[in-house]
Amino acid sequence: MSKELSYAQLLETNNLLQNHGEETYWLCVTRTVQESKLFPVSAYILLSYLNAFYRWPTLLRKIEKHMPAERIADRVRNATTKIETIGTGWCLPNFYLLGREHLINMGMIRPQDAIEDVAYVLDFWKRYSLSWRRNEGHISAREANHRCQIYPERKLQVFHADQYPCEAGDALHTAAGKFMAATAQYGFLASCECRVSMTAHGPYKVADDCEMLVRNFYDLSQSDYPWLDGVADDVPYNCLTVTTSVKDTHFYLVDDWGSFEAKPDYKAENICGVGLYTSDPLTETHVPVGMGSREELTKTFEDLAEKMREANTKLWRRLATYSRDQLLDAGALVYYSIIKDIAHFAGCYEIDDWMMIDERAQRFRGLLNDEYSNEVLGAMLVPLTLPSSQVQEYFMMLHGNQSRRVYTPFQYALLGKGDYVGSVGGMGPGSSSLPKKVDRYRTTQGLISNAEYNRRVKAFTPQLASEKFRDLDETWVKYHYDTPLADEMYRIEQQYSRKLKGKGAGLRRADIEALRDRS
Amino acid sequence: MARLFVDTDKFADSEGPPIVEAFHSALKDLVRRKLDESGGDWNAFVFGKAQELITAKEIAAVEARLLATGHRYTVSAMISQRERPDAYKPVAGSEDPATFSFEHPDARVEAADAQGREVRGQGDNVVQGKTNTVGIARYFRNNDNVMHCLNEGVPDNTIAIIDDSGGTLTAPILEKFKGVICAGGTIRSHLGILTREYGIPCLMNARISGIHEGDTVELETAGPAKTGEMYQRGEDGSVRIWKHASKN
Repeated sequence: MSKELSYAQLLETNNLLQNHGEETYWLCVTRTVQESKLFPVSAYILLSYLNAFYRWPTLLRKIEKHMPAERIADRVRNATTKIETIGTGWCLPNFYLLGREHLINMGMIRPQDAIEDVAYVLDFWKRYSLSWRRNEGHISAREANHRCQIYPERKLQVFHADQYPCEAGDALHTAAGKFMAATAQYGFLASCECRVSMTAHGPYKVADDCEMLVRNFYDLSQSDYPWLDGVADDVPYNCLTVTTSVKDTHFYLVDDWGSFEAKPDYKAENICGVGLYTSDPLTETHVPVGMGSREELTKTFEDLAEKMREANTKLWRRLATYSRDQLLDAGALVYYSIIKDIAHFAGCYEIDDWMMIDERAQRFRGLLNDEYSNEVLGAMLVPLTLPSSQVQEYFMMLHGNQSRRVYTPFQYALLGKGDYVGSVGGMGPGSSSLPKKVDRYRTTQGLISNAEYNRRVKAFTPQLASEKFRDLDETWVKYHYDTPLADEMYRIEQQYSRKLKGKGAGLRRADIEALRDRS
Repeated sequence: MARLFVDTDKFADSEGPPIVEAFHSALKDLVRRKLDESGGDWNAFVFGKAQELITAKEIAAVEARLLATGHRYTVSAMISQRERPDAYKPVAGSEDPATFSFEHPDARVEAADAQGREVRGQGDNVVQGKTNTVGIARYFRNNDNVMHCLNEGVPDNTIAIIDDSGGTLTAPILEKFKGVICAGGTIRSHLGILTREYGIPCLMNARISGIHEGDTVELETAGPAKTGEMYQRGEDGSVRIWKHASKN
């Protein structure tokens, strides 16, 4: 029997639906379509949406038995993981809702079916996003006018202080540029042509004429994806963060799709400082990589770029032998598992949960030829020509003024009637045409099994996520920076910093600038 | 036959594009039929009996009926056509790059100038460089083209002509190209992002005509880069692509 939702819950759910729909339309209409001659992209996107609709409600409820969404986000704020701008900012609500909309248009469900699941998934997203973005006080990139300023001062000070200055043409600048190009390219391939292996957030103002953009790269090594077994084993880090300071450039847009835009136009030659870090659910905070000296960092970028190139070539050769079903599964699983790191942070990741296609989604595979997939995905997103998008003619949608909307709201006439089915139910059996995943996962504590990874995560609470520190936010610091507790918290963040170790909470931005290397 | 909830819709006039109409209409018929078979109780059906009754086999039959009418799908991923040549339309020129050339109707074509350069098209410049880029045109349209260069090496001075604006088809050899002409996408596409990161001159959204494998081509990469705002304002802002006169 379904649990009845209140009027207030329905109002909020419909508000979230509408906001996600408007942002989705804006992102799609201002960006290009995703094309590939190698991967059946639209087909795998649709399969992933259906899989998300049938499986995510169960998996998110399972995760919250281990840790609530808002406390997972507290940990994630201090780590490099896919569950930030791209994974949870946009994909979490919208993959799920697009699966729902597709099913409505196929006549498979009514708009009111799975209402409890929808309300729960959006509530999970709301709590997670509010927590992850708590330092800027927004719920979404959209609400922040497409900025993403996540980090507390203590972390930004470490990133700022430890960056090595560089300029176009010098060895460090060249090595950093080549590393980012090679890693971006490998990331596109490892993620089956989608851009979920990289995001950016910021900007953070490091000087009046200089802004810092934090660029993250994920799922680079042997870890969750079966197709990286034997290909990425030599990539020594699964996640990497590159801090880049860019002079004379204002980033006016940093959105949830990893895009950034600047005035004047972003040019790599304006990068004037870089740093490199890694982290995962087993680290206290970001750990420097090759940051002992300028020369070491240059060599590290060069070595890592070569590792990425080698993995890229091996992977391409492997994927060139894959069948369409295998390419479809790989792409669908990249998309569907975009939020898998939530399970990693909660210590409950299971292969069968995240690397399988549910039989209820699987049955639609026969429809997913290239043409139908392109047409229905397009119709669902930008022209909005599917039946469910059409609304009364006096309505003018945001950004386009058409009488359309992306997501179907819930009718208030449902209140007190109970004429709906609240949930899709538990997960169905899953399958995949891909090779069986090797039980080996690259972490900051070496290569370990899935069970061991979960065990270590469950046994580990980062100090900054402990009850003692986790709620000491930026406002608290403003009024308590001169206390031993503030110093203690800053020193935890500063423990790996070559410039700030042990310095505590009293420094301002100008003090940091004065401590930096000059060349 | 049972009526579906979505059969009553004040504002929807169609199912969408033709192939969507064909599939969704057939699927709705399937759902109506199976709902009848199950006794007509939607709440018991939707996440219950529907999962047993609406099977992969039934859904595959929907596709088979469309193909039986003679419809053939437009291909995106080359693997789709390769595995099911009877279900997809052929891809022009994909098997014979030696004689193929893109012939875009909106390609700008002008007679040769004093240096023997014929304008043979235009594209959106990703990054403004100091000089134009001159090299030898080579088409990369499928895995075989890429695998050949991966095994044998990319010839010097290759200007790759690609109709895939993604970043994966040419992933293992992209870094070796002297320049790229991409007949698709925009400066913001994955290929645009990657060539910018690598510092490889690149024209996206190119429209070209009469450029064959082995031709010497020149990209006006010293011209202005196209910006995102220009796309939003609908401004052209493209730069030229020349074919040099043959020395024979």
